[in-house]
Amino acid sequence: MRYRTYLRTGLTTLVIAATLSGVTACGAGSRTGAADATAVECDYTMPEAETTVNVLAYNSSAIDPFTNTMVKSCTRENVTLKHDPIDFSGQVTKTTATLSGDTGSYDIIETYGFAVPEIASAGSIIALDDYVAEYEEKYKLDALNEGMRSALSYDGKLYALPMQAQMYVMAYRADVFEDLGLTPPKTFDDMIEAAKTIREQGDIEYPIALPMNATADVSTIYQAAMNSTGTDFLDAGEPQFDSEGSRQALEGLQSLLPYMDPQVTTFDQPKVQQQMYNGTAAMAIMFSGRMNDLTLDTNSKLAADFAFAAPPSIDSDAPYLFSRLSVDGWAIPENTQLDKDMLFQMIASSVSEDASRASVPAAYPAREGIVTDESSKYAVAANETTAGTMPAPNDPASAPVTNAIRPVLVQVLTGQLDIEAGMQDMQRLAEETVAGN
Amino acid sequence: MRRREFAVLIGPSLLVMVGLLVLPLVRTIQWSFQEVTYGQVGTFVGLSNYSQALTDPRFGRAVFFTLLLTIVVTSIILVIGYLIAVGVNGLGALRPYILGSMLVAYVLPGVVGAVSFSWLFDSNFGGVLNLAIERLTGREFLWFTDTWPNRAMIIAHTVWHLLPFSVLMILAGLQGVPKELREAATIDGASAWKMHLYVIIPTMRGIIGFVCLITIMDVLRTFDSLIPLSPQADAIGNESIMYYVFDNAFRDGSQQLGLGSAVNVLSILLILICLFPFIRDLLKEAKTKA
Amino acid sequence: MMPSTATAPSTEVSSPPTRRRRSRGNRVAAVLLILMALLMLAPFVWTALSVTKPTDVAFANPPVLSGYTPTLEAFKNLWETTYFAQYLVNTAVVALISTVVALVLGVPAAYALSRFPGYVSAILLLLALVFRSLPRFSVVLPMYDISRALGIYDTNFALAAALVAINQPFSIWLLRNFFAEIPKELDEAAMIDGCTRFGTLRRIMIPLMRPGILTAGVFVFLFAFQEYLTALVLTDTASKTVPVFITTQLGQTLPMLQQAGAAAMLLTLPVIAIAFIAQKYLVAGLSDGSVKG
Repeated sequence: MRYRTYLRTGLTTLVIAATLSGVTACGAGSRTGAADATAVECDYTMPEAETTVNVLAYNSSAIDPFTNTMVKSCTRENVTLKHDPIDFSGQVTKTTATLSGDTGSYDIIETYGFAVPEIASAGSIIALDDYVAEYEEKYKLDALNEGMRSALSYDGKLYALPMQAQMYVMAYRADVFEDLGLTPPKTFDDMIEAAKTIREQGDIEYPIALPMNATADVSTIYQAAMNSTGTDFLDAGEPQFDSEGSRQALEGLQSLLPYMDPQVTTFDQPKVQQQMYNGTAAMAIMFSGRMNDLTLDTNSKLAADFAFAAPPSIDSDAPYLFSRLSVDGWAIPENTQLDKDMLFQMIASSVSEDASRASVPAAYPAREGIVTDESSKYAVAANETTAGTMPAPNDPASAPVTNAIRPVLVQVLTGQLDIEAGMQDMQRLAEETVAGN
Repeated sequence: MRRREFAVLIGPSLLVMVGLLVLPLVRTIQWSFQEVTYGQVGTFVGLSNYSQALTDPRFGRAVFFTLLLTIVVTSIILVIGYLIAVGVNGLGALRPYILGSMLVAYVLPGVVGAVSFSWLFDSNFGGVLNLAIERLTGREFLWFTDTWPNRAMIIAHTVWHLLPFSVLMILAGLQGVPKELREAATIDGASAWKMHLYVIIPTMRGIIGFVCLITIMDVLRTFDSLIPLSPQADAIGNESIMYYVFDNAFRDGSQQLGLGSAVNVLSILLILICLFPFIRDLLKEAKTKA
Repeated sequence: MMPSTATAPSTEVSSPPTRRRRSRGNRVAAVLLILMALLMLAPFVWTALSVTKPTDVAFANPPVLSGYTPTLEAFKNLWETTYFAQYLVNTAVVALISTVVALVLGVPAAYALSRFPGYVSAILLLLALVFRSLPRFSVVLPMYDISRALGIYDTNFALAAALVAINQPFSIWLLRNFFAEIPKELDEAAMIDGCTRFGTLRRIMIPLMRPGILTAGVFVFLFAFQEYLTALVLTDTASKTVPVFITTQLGQTLPMLQQAGAAAMLLTLPVIAIAFIAQKYLVAGLSDGSVKG
């Protein structure tokens, strides 16, 4: 009995030891993600001490090329860049955490137009204008698109160096559309007509797929629909949730619901991709950064059947497309302990010409003259969307207002609350938030 | 045992608990009266966090759902856990395999198990169990957006995750029951039921009470499993109290730490009320021993 | 206590018809239990299948069950493109350290509680119970704030310390019941033989308690190994654990999702090995002590 006890204990220890030694023997990940990345020039002044630069950037096919290029190109001698995988919502949480307090965990953070005004006005990230002036020539920063620069500016100063933009693109099943004689829809009504035809003749029960998960996804969808009518959440700081544009947006989205999976309010962008991969939807609208995944035949047997178009407008009178333009860029936290000049050169090299070129087709780089109509299967659609998207300046109150109205928005879209009452509720919540900000 | 020896033996452990549990708890209570974010000095706001929580219908829904979940899951776990333990106790060579495979559910990290569990019901990820249930019943269930199917799924997951622990505990308890009693109770029929009900269960009151206690504690703090299992928990009334705290005080950079702390304090009170019968028993026992 | 009810059925056991009925009943019970065990394993098995399928059919709807070549690509990617190895080491180190410390602190405390009669012990035990039931957030969020102020945020040390404290009540409670099972006369005899109180604990009690300590150790280790919330709040990049890593891989690209599944498999397999080996031992250890709890 004794002997067997020892045997068992010994075995257990062996299993644990084997696992651990296996782990250490095979070595910490060799990071082929970064290893395969493009090497570009990253010419900062080498610090004397061993330095680790922590990079916070969520993983997606469109962000990864920039992150990987930076990690690979700027890691040398005393300096190691470290990037841990994280999802978008994790990045949002970590951003708040690292920026609050005197020191933070991260030295370079990925951010986007929607978030910049709030953290810039709080003084949590530094203005980059002086560095841009100094290094404009070295990294050819003047070729970064003017509009995208202004999307990452606040109060006339640039707070993040734009790497790329994302806009809504529609992916659809070219084979299904062709069989049924359909063309990519131009309005929500066209979309419904196409969906009806596909449901009746194409054997797909819920042809439309939108990311309407009850997080940032659903509020972005709502904002895109509102933008199509020419209104935005805030107009010069004033909430617009009880406007005609808001009503049109809510009605438009509700009219699409019968043609979307009944559980659509739990679908994020990967789940929408999943619907396309599995052939359970025939048209999907989401950010362009997710589109390259659809063109890869390792992800789906249907990859060759997907085609891309600009998203529709809410109706034929609408001035803009059903789209949002979101600009991603690199920012430097105020509370980093490292040399900010060095950090700037790192982010500048990650948006250099070579790096930007290497990010295509997965991304839509901010550098001008990189994306041509031939760059990717969805480049034409992306270019067309960019031209038709409402320019919507961000406000420091945008983020808190969006968080405040989201629960009501979900209730309206799930039919628990009627549109009129929902609009009033959202307007009240937004006004309270703006007043309290 | 002398008082001094007692103090030396228990001191270090007590010190750790006071330093790492009581002090943070004091901070939580402080925060609950403040408007505050991380790393900042808060401003005193009196009871406003409490009144905000108590008047928030969303908090009311969270309390209701959490209590519902606790009652249902605890009852299921006690009944099924007992039946399985009795069954496993009667097994021979099969026993280690059955017990070992059941423990897998317990050793998977909660949130990871919940993701795996959600895949069984999510048609976007194959949804094999969803498919099987649809074929069997001929009905389509909206597992993630309809309140009751979602509740059923959350209950199933919670039972799945916590059942192995209670089976293990009850099984251990059964082994402490005198052998003759146990053998008598393995016979089928009415007499066996009576045997379990009137003889075996009463002798195992202690262990069953303990399983009950631990299960109640664990279900009351259900939180991470809801992230994959109920993506719009709030909208369909399936949000737990801890999820409410997470959403207000941590998630997406939200920093309503004061409100979150007030809810924490309220839920500690709620837990104490739920545990009151056990606390009373323990005190009574101590009195008789003293 | 109830000799009549206890003996009467036991004579029935030997009568032939009952035995036959009983064995049939046992077989039915065995089949039911096997089904139950399979159902309990379903999520694990399904994940294992999804991880070893080629990406394009891994999450297909309706599910693809045959006609594909299984692949270990996800494991290879996990190993090569992430810091998984480091996370696994973090997780194991934190779990091991916190288990050892929890036992070193908990064993003497539990011994003291089992031997010191009266209200003080009862109240301390009660406190342990209340601590065990605390909502995790009520201690973890302040710990986050404090650890940042102290500059130990995102270290294995901070996480291990937090887990020691959080698991201390459970281990004390479990260990105390084991000690309570050991007759006090044994202590007295040892002390008459010249052992001090601490000598008694070290030389007599701990060797006797080996199964109990191991049982408590396994539980504390499992808690620490799978802990998500504490690790999520108290770690960032340097001391991230596998459960936290897995959740950050979700909701992204398909290959990453498969890697998350692979990570879950790799995290669980050693623990399953322990569970299979230790389950009999656990039951025995538990029935020695906790039963009378």
